[in-house]
Amino acid sequence: MESTSYALVFYGFSALALAAAAVVVFARNILYSAFALLATLFGIAALYAMLGADFLAAAQLVIYIGGILVLILFGVLLTQRVAHLHLRVTTRQALPALVAAALVALVLWVALVQRAPWPAPTPRPMEPTTAALGEALLGKFLLPFEVVSIALLAALVGAVYLTRAPERDR
Amino acid sequence: MIGLGHFLTVSVLLFALGVLAILLKRNAIGVLMGIELILNAAGLNFVAFSHFLGNLEGQVITLFIIILAAAEAAVALAIVFSIYHGFETVNVDQVDQLRG
Amino acid sequence: MALLSDLQLLAPELIVAGSLLLVLILTCKPRSWNLMAGISLAGLGIALVALVPLSGRAPQSAFSAMVVHDPFASFCRAFFLVATMLAILLALRSRELQGPGAGEFFTLLLAVLLGMMLLAGANHLLMVYLGLELVSVPSYLLAGFLKRDRRSSEAALKYVIYGALSTGVMLYGLSLLYGLTGSGGFEALRGHFSGSSFDAGLVGLAVVMAMAGFGYKISSAPFHFWAPDVYQGAPTAFTAFLSVGPKAAGFAVLVRFFFSGLAAAPGPEGMLLPLARWPALIAVLAALSMFVGNIAALVQHNMKRLLAYSSIAHAGYMLMAVCLLTPTGLQAMLFYFVAYAIMNLGVFLVVIMIANATGSEEIDSYRGLWSRAPTLVAAMGLFLLSLAGIPPLVGFVGKFYLFKAAVAGELYWLAVVAVVNSAISLYYYVYVLRVMFIDAGAQPAPLRPPLLHSALLAVLVILTVALGIFYGPLDALTRASAHLWVPGGG
Repeated sequence: MESTSYALVFYGFSALALAAAAVVVFARNILYSAFALLATLFGIAALYAMLGADFLAAAQLVIYIGGILVLILFGVLLTQRVAHLHLRVTTRQALPALVAAALVALVLWVALVQRAPWPAPTPRPMEPTTAALGEALLGKFLLPFEVVSIALLAALVGAVYLTRAPERDR
Repeated sequence: MIGLGHFLTVSVLLFALGVLAILLKRNAIGVLMGIELILNAAGLNFVAFSHFLGNLEGQVITLFIIILAAAEAAVALAIVFSIYHGFETVNVDQVDQLRG
Repeated sequence: MALLSDLQLLAPELIVAGSLLLVLILTCKPRSWNLMAGISLAGLGIALVALVPLSGRAPQSAFSAMVVHDPFASFCRAFFLVATMLAILLALRSRELQGPGAGEFFTLLLAVLLGMMLLAGANHLLMVYLGLELVSVPSYLLAGFLKRDRRSSEAALKYVIYGALSTGVMLYGLSLLYGLTGSGGFEALRGHFSGSSFDAGLVGLAVVMAMAGFGYKISSAPFHFWAPDVYQGAPTAFTAFLSVGPKAAGFAVLVRFFFSGLAAAPGPEGMLLPLARWPALIAVLAALSMFVGNIAALVQHNMKRLLAYSSIAHAGYMLMAVCLLTPTGLQAMLFYFVAYAIMNLGVFLVVIMIANATGSEEIDSYRGLWSRAPTLVAAMGLFLLSLAGIPPLVGFVGKFYLFKAAVAGELYWLAVVAVVNSAISLYYYVYVLRVMFIDAGAQPAPLRPPLLHSALLAVLVILTVALGIFYGPLDALTRASAHLWVPGGG
């Protein structure tokens, strides 16, 4: 937390994540947005690692980028007429939205960062978290761990049903 | 030097950008991307607090956020495909048949 | 061993999960709707039977305080089981739901039920998020279940966008609470906020953001925008379920979140002291929901859309009970769960029966029904008047309890708002009834609903009247159940 190299890495990856997020929002081509989202997610994974969450950073890379983002890319490419490369996306009147978002950012920033009523920090030492997470998932968080598998199962079953070609019954 | 406030600033900006994406994007998948930004902002909060408060719970919660975001994205995209099949477009302004 | 006794406490949930898996395994081949419904009903019946002996057990927490077992949770879980069973009966013989997909439908429905039951006892921020997602994600799919119907797909799209956005915002708010307390358990929230001074502004902000998630689930204004489209486009049996089950589950978790996490231990009269000024916020949302719901319902032409706005208004009435923080208010809310379920499922059943015969859900198509199906019209009239709060029906008793609790809690302005809104609602409920009496010309063919529907209709009619007159047993049951238990005291 004290070293300048840490600060440099932090600013570097934060800038990456935020700049890419801006591209996600303002790009007119939805494919650009999708790839920009990849960069954002990557930047966040790096931030997780800087906060000592090594397992989570890897999970972010594998699940969020390797799974969710790939799925989004499929979605983008399959719902545009790629033959015509009709990938331009129109956006609405920007000004009211910009004002609203700026207001939200301001309120949140004042409440969270400026007033910052957080308890005094007692930072965890940087140590591997995988074993501890494993023990937590099978210990204190056993119930949510088991339940989430049903959530995934239901999502899978329903998504397959919805996208299955309607002519084929089975 | 780099403290909790720095990480929270990043999450606040991500959240605001996510809100902006939802307000601006006309493509359903674009809106979904905005929602992913918001979820990541929340996840970043949990991990940051987890580190600075010396507590593992935040990381566990973020893990579940990632997992459930995957399920939600799969479902959302399945629905988008369903829409595309019926409407030939995923422009949220054009998918507006339901009315009083 | 702790795990074994914890599993015993969650036996009903295990049985529901087991039924879900059984239905799913059987879906390897196309199965009939009757078979899948039968298996689901059997499973839910067994779960209900398993719940009965458990409800006598002392309040305790389970699974490392992730969930809590107390009278409130037991009542809610039983209610969810029964409501889902009724919804399954509605789905059978519904003309919309035919052909392939029976196994998937019930798999999804049972998953939603599982989420609802977990929400009833949720005691940790993670369980709140997980439970809400488990209820919402299969619901998105169920709303879009009619693949060939564009309106169903549109309903699903709007639902998933609003829902994911709301839960995302809520999650951000919950993260702030975690940051303040260092733990996700409700008892930690209560402990932290009871003692030291805390930044009320930040807590208020977190609460507002969390309300985005709760408000969306209970379809309260201003988080209600998804409801009219989803109610209209989704298969009607699912809409009926949605208006009763997930909505009540949203209330259950909202109540426990605020009463256990953000209120101090009860004083001598049993009234809790709120930490941070959230009751005022809820009162405002309640009034807003009532007005938005009732006024918008006045101009609707589609029956399901009208019922969506009616549902928004009723969320307002029930929120009125929540912001009182008294056991009386809680009891009134639980009573209204049951009353609303009976009336609302009744109305939706009639809508399904009419749609099966005429293919339409527009109010104009109800003309001349008086000559085609007089008993149907009579039943519908009973349900609608009950929704409006006319005595001696169960809806009147429910509303009376709500008003009484509001007056006892000295929330006079809100009680007045509620009474005014009930009067407004009478107009559009009666309007639907009047349309049925208008002569439509030559339409002699009488409606022949399936026996199952007629039987179910009779049961709901009897309940609407009987519980309105003999409300004693339900009153006693809800009073006994209006107790929340917090690990570590309270």
